[in-house]
Amino acid sequence: MKDVPGTVACIDGNTFIVSDSSGDIESSTAAPVGLFTVDTRYLSRWVLTLNDERMTALSVDDSDYFAAAFFLVPGGRMDYVQADVSAIRRRRIDADLTESITIFNYGERPREVAVRLEVAADFADIFEIKFDVADKTGDLYTEVARDELRLGYRRDTFHREIAITADKPATFTADEIRFAVRLEPGTDWSVELRAEMRSWRPDGVDLRAGPRALRSDPAILPESLRAWVATAPTLDTDSATLRQAYRRSLVDLAALRFAPLSLGGATVPAAGLPWFMTLFGRDSLLTCFQTLPFTPALTPPTLRILASLQGARTDDVLEEDPGRILHELRYGESAAFEEQPHSPYYGTVDATPLFVVLLDEYERWSGDTALVRELEPEARAALTWMARHADLTGAGYLSYQRRNVDTGLENQCWKDSWDSISYADGRLPGFPRSTCESQGYAYDAKVRAARLAREIWRDADLADRLEREAAELYERFNRDFWLEERGWYAVALDSDGTPVDSLTSNIGHLLWSGIVPPERAARVAEHLMSPALFSGWGVRTLAEGQSRYNPLGYHTGTVWPFDNSFIAWGLRRYGLTDAACRIAEGIIEAAAFFEGRLPEAFGGFDRRTTRYPVRYPTAGSPQAWSSGAPLLLLRTLLGLDPHEDHLAAIPALPATFDHVALLDVPGRWGRLDAFARHRPDHPPDTY
Amino acid sequence: MTSTDAFFDKLSAMGYNARLGKVSGSVRIDIRGDGGLRQWRIDIDRGHLRVSRDGGPASAVITCSERTAEAMVTGGMNGLAAINRGEILVDGELALALQLGRLFPARAQAGARARRPDGGAR
Repeated sequence: MKDVPGTVACIDGNTFIVSDSSGDIESSTAAPVGLFTVDTRYLSRWVLTLNDERMTALSVDDSDYFAAAFFLVPGGRMDYVQADVSAIRRRRIDADLTESITIFNYGERPREVAVRLEVAADFADIFEIKFDVADKTGDLYTEVARDELRLGYRRDTFHREIAITADKPATFTADEIRFAVRLEPGTDWSVELRAEMRSWRPDGVDLRAGPRALRSDPAILPESLRAWVATAPTLDTDSATLRQAYRRSLVDLAALRFAPLSLGGATVPAAGLPWFMTLFGRDSLLTCFQTLPFTPALTPPTLRILASLQGARTDDVLEEDPGRILHELRYGESAAFEEQPHSPYYGTVDATPLFVVLLDEYERWSGDTALVRELEPEARAALTWMARHADLTGAGYLSYQRRNVDTGLENQCWKDSWDSISYADGRLPGFPRSTCESQGYAYDAKVRAARLAREIWRDADLADRLEREAAELYERFNRDFWLEERGWYAVALDSDGTPVDSLTSNIGHLLWSGIVPPERAARVAEHLMSPALFSGWGVRTLAEGQSRYNPLGYHTGTVWPFDNSFIAWGLRRYGLTDAACRIAEGIIEAAAFFEGRLPEAFGGFDRRTTRYPVRYPTAGSPQAWSSGAPLLLLRTLLGLDPHEDHLAAIPALPATFDHVALLDVPGRWGRLDAFARHRPDHPPDTY
Repeated sequence: MTSTDAFFDKLSAMGYNARLGKVSGSVRIDIRGDGGLRQWRIDIDRGHLRVSRDGGPASAVITCSERTAEAMVTGGMNGLAAINRGEILVDGELALALQLGRLFPARAQAGARARRPDGGAR
């Protein structure tokens, strides 16, 4: 896969189009550009020419996530002098693609303009693009009609098709759509094209017909986006950067909402563009956690769909066990033919405890005990999975070792690339592996489930047992993972119980989970804020000085905004306010370099060296949990937490911000405001 | 007696399944084979199952071939993947059909698959 700079995306859940700045799509096998839905590329070429000249964008308006407008002139950038003919290309994505092209003649003489759209569809599965696989097993076909071009792909009963029509007379051929236009001086001409994407069953029913029918009229999309933003709390701050990041986050979270086929129209967050436009257990749970004080409506459908797809059987390809919460659900060809195990894939060690954590956190904010009762069987099954299926070494820890050795994930923690977990000297530990943050999540899940059991499920025995197990885990973990001579926690235990000694960001999540004894928290924070881990923008995934450190390593040195948001929130939990503020400040300032849209990850280079956060080449953007990061950081700055039936706020602002006010924070209290003002008489501690 | 017949007999004898404790609705299964159409119907009332050979409207209708049905009931197929590739058709409430899918046996371990060049980012 390769990076595609300067792309423009329009998104509607798992339907999206990524083009260059002139609106054109010219894909190669490895580039994630094109028109996509259900993990399949329906347009791989979509190139506009006027009189055989390619177009150049003078400006692009993509301020709405679902639409874009490209203001174009013919010719390349270098030879543009003055254009009599210009064009506006407007596109809107909903269940399908609608694109209008308007040509203007501002010259003094009539013009004949050959308007041409080159079209191709390779029906590549997103995984074929990711792994650069060019061969298709099935057959591509083209059907040209007088008023329509159909491009399709068939493999046995699997059938995908795109049909392109225009509202003006056109000439359709196998690879282009042509319009012959004559423009008098001062006039314009427009055409609207529609590209409908179908996932045909053999009986001619579209698999997407259900969600399509439940969609609201595309015409009200702008209004529904306004309503989505208006329903979220209002942010009032002197920081233009924070305002921009907040607004962008809310819009991107709206963009990433998608309606899974089996959920009757309810929407959940897709993980991110372009590779992860689908349901991920971990990503959706953590995104919901980050956004609870802002957009709580995302959480109930997410918990419900994960509950409905919770593992029920034992399957070594899907790595399914009873009670396990899924990792990833896909609809593409590779999933359909089980070349990838995503129907759904369960290879994650942490989604199951995080399901319990989110259920409790949601109730703390919302007071919605009905949902806690509704999902009691699934929460109990999740706890049972943790006890019965996840302790692969017998040492009392959540651990993982893939059973699907062909296509399963080696690392089933959030850092899921193959080299993410290593010793300081670079050696890779064996399997089963038990990563530290997973134990934190397990501890937190038990503590929280004990509260739910006691207060809502009215099962004191279960509550007692969970509290006892949590206390035992706390003690065991702090004995086995703590590296006294280093002053940090091992990132993992090797299969034989040896602590994996590298210094990583994972230790920050332990603060979030509360598994760190108070007397150790400051030492953990000291390492998190040390030059080895803290880049000046945020905490690196792996510390400088560790053998595998690389500032552009996916999980071995980059800075992940979502990771930092949980670390900052964890630091606040332990009263380490100044460290929390420094992280919040760094990540929010980084957002300014990405026009408010924090990417999945950025380079771990030292801030004093580069002065700007360096783009990570294949980082996804927008990414749900990166969009959620500014929201959790806002919660961190304001110190927001539900306290019984009230909203507690213990604000702490770094010097960058003079004031931050969050108005109408929703919760069991109705809506309440929170205010923070910087206190110059309260200088930050130093680490 | 086919494996499909045996499966529905077993389901009928089961009476109650805790996995469907929150589920209510009706699912009709239309199996099309050389011998024509064979139908089963499962009425679910909060986990209580009633299996019959009745036709008539149902909250979800699952349609597949005899061969596909045999593969499903013997644990030879992933139902969601089969729906996705058009081998099993579901009309009506997909969520309900997926819940019922939990009653089918787990798949046997599949054979070797092509190894990808890297473990993947996710």
